[in-house]
Amino acid sequence: MTPLIERLSSDFLPLFLRGMVVNFEIAVIALAVGLAAGLLLAFARLGGGVPGGAAASVISVMRAAPTFVVMFFLLNAIPRDATLFGAPLALSGVMTVALSLVPYSAAYIADAGADAVRQLRAGSSLGALLFLPNLTRAFFVLVMSSSAAAAIGVTEGITVILRHAEQLPVLGDRLVLFATGIVLFGIPLQAGFAIMSVIQRRLSLRVARPPADA
Amino acid sequence: MGSTPVVLSAAKDLIAASMRSLRLRSGQAFASLRMTALIVLALTAAWPLSAQPDKSPDAALARLLLEARATLPAACSQANADRLIKILCAKRIRIGLRDYYPLFATRNGEARDGYEVDVALAIGQRLGVEVEFVRVNAATRIPLLAEDRVDLVIATMGHNTQRDGQARFIRPHYYRSETAVIGPRALAVTNMADLPGRTVCVTIGNGSNAELVSQGARLMLFDEAGALPDRLRDETCALAAQDDSFFANYFTDPDFARRYAQKFGFAQVPWGMAVARQGSEQLARALDLISQIFHRGGLFLEVARKHRIGTSFLEQQQAVWQREACNTDTGAADSACVLPPLNAELKPTPFANSASAFETWFESWSDIDLSLPMLKTAPAWSMFKEGVLNSLILIAGALAATLGFALLLGAALGARLAVLRWPARLLTVTLQSSPIVLTLVIAAAIVHAFFAYSDAVALGASIAALGLANGSNAGQALSEAMWSLRAEGSAGGGPLFGRALGRAATQIVAFLVNAAKGTPIASFIGAPELLSALTDITSFSSGRATTYTLLLVFYTVVVMIVVWLCGKLRLYLEGRQAAGPGSHKVPA
Repeated sequence: MTPLIERLSSDFLPLFLRGMVVNFEIAVIALAVGLAAGLLLAFARLGGGVPGGAAASVISVMRAAPTFVVMFFLLNAIPRDATLFGAPLALSGVMTVALSLVPYSAAYIADAGADAVRQLRAGSSLGALLFLPNLTRAFFVLVMSSSAAAAIGVTEGITVILRHAEQLPVLGDRLVLFATGIVLFGIPLQAGFAIMSVIQRRLSLRVARPPADA
Repeated sequence: MGSTPVVLSAAKDLIAASMRSLRLRSGQAFASLRMTALIVLALTAAWPLSAQPDKSPDAALARLLLEARATLPAACSQANADRLIKILCAKRIRIGLRDYYPLFATRNGEARDGYEVDVALAIGQRLGVEVEFVRVNAATRIPLLAEDRVDLVIATMGHNTQRDGQARFIRPHYYRSETAVIGPRALAVTNMADLPGRTVCVTIGNGSNAELVSQGARLMLFDEAGALPDRLRDETCALAAQDDSFFANYFTDPDFARRYAQKFGFAQVPWGMAVARQGSEQLARALDLISQIFHRGGLFLEVARKHRIGTSFLEQQQAVWQREACNTDTGAADSACVLPPLNAELKPTPFANSASAFETWFESWSDIDLSLPMLKTAPAWSMFKEGVLNSLILIAGALAATLGFALLLGAALGARLAVLRWPARLLTVTLQSSPIVLTLVIAAAIVHAFFAYSDAVALGASIAALGLANGSNAGQALSEAMWSLRAEGSAGGGPLFGRALGRAATQIVAFLVNAAKGTPIASFIGAPELLSALTDITSFSSGRATTYTLLLVFYTVVVMIVVWLCGKLRLYLEGRQAAGPGSHKVPA
């Protein structure tokens, strides 16, 4: 056993897996809020007129807002004692990161949602179903992006890796630890993308196949 | 002690001896003559006393109190009487103390404990009056002095040049703290040189933050110092910097002391008792002398040992105030004996007043409390300008690197040669599987192994990491476009690579925009871009809400400009593909 493995074997993996759960938790919250906001924006945009123009502008701004800056904005611009309708407005670390990802997820879902509605209106229900793999793609992007939480001290997967890396004086050991992190993050990510590809292929096949009663 | 008391003692001895002689001898004439000679001798010996008064702080304090008491009770009714007179009239002194600052001043019901509590009681005893404790905190300690609600504050207050204009600080100082950098014992950090690139948890507004920033440390900001030990324990912070007096209490916990150690200290600041600037001249003079006496006699040291706080400063001060040159009634005004206040004033910008005027006007116009700390002090303005410039360099660099890596990886991934294709695919999958924060950290670790830490190195590592992360995805899209063109059998229309660029234009542009949007995350590895600069500025000034709002506006506008420019690039690339003979248009 190398000293690195000895050092990591005791608590690294459980801590890392617990951290990854936080990554998924952040992604789920960001996707849920983004789904609600994105679909509203998509329908408003498709509706045209003034609301459509306003929705398009909001989507453009959301697309341009850098997640990392939004995170620091939410962290610093909201006073700790702020309230909304009597309820405390101060956000936890996880919620801060999740909400900072909402502009991205809402803008992405608004685009994908608008496409799906157009497909549906064109009579292609299966084409509209491509919205689901797009949603999966957004989810995994959010999981990866949630690692920004390390910058504000939220204990997620990358935070655990970095804390352990701080204790390793040798660069080689640190690189091995980082590579382990990439593998551990890569497995669910690549699996997710593989599942998404399968779904996408099946949907494409169904779209391409003529209906049985035609 | 000086020579005068020795002379006095000799004269007394001589008189006493002469009196004993008088009783023993019987000859009147002889006795009379002897008596006269001895009195003359005694008076001669004692003469320097009346010509040169006792210069010790003890004698000066006794004289001051005697003179003050001599004016009582008549002076008690005078409205403009010095606070010393008022204290002596009331027979009590109101001393402002903190309620909860472990080891220094804590309160449990009516019982108070701590170094400052014992110092306050010793002062009351020396003045011969009772002590009435008044609760103060960091925000109220100076206003309460000005409002005449306390006579004296002894409340963990650092003496700096800014506060000198708000209160009269008692010299010599009764304690000195420093900013301690605390971390796990195993962590190899021994001085400032080990900080570049590391994150240090600090509290907002701490004056020493600017020094940490100047040494290349990244700061994680907290509102309350109480959060720092908890964040050390849950490993959110690998290092925390705060006043050593704050951590002193935590180090009395064996478990904390076993796990953590003070790595080093810096930014020493003397602590001063303070009285009001107006109407406290005699009180301040009395307290100066008392403080001198307490240092010289070791009272401060004794009380500090009792409460288990650091004593090295007090030991140094005892040595200073026992020196003959300092142990005088003018020692407290002697710059060779007393410590200067910490110079905490930041040089204002030439337009600081205009910025303040604009803030006032904006608030009156919009009712929004606008604060522009980056425009008011020279260091903040300098950091702000550098931050904007570095952000623009970073964005331009990230865009160029993304495009460069996209072309390289796209060509390799689209190559027919497996020896080119497979390494590129492995690299792409690896980069896609690595969260951007991790990619940045890896880039920084590798670059720092070859180059010493500097702003340019941090910027370079960030550009490389952002370029690789986004370029790998854009390159994959490019290679897919190449393979799709091959599958369609489109041999004509110029080089395949050029046409693939047109086909993958949307994806390439999307990742270019993504690279520009991702640049603020470079602050995570210490790249000195605008987010990093503004975080540093707000760590030692106010106006966080405004600062981060402006930051968000800045980056959003810059990214929108990048989106617009990238849109032009996309149209150009797609136009090239559409214009080419035998080209295949992408269905809308």
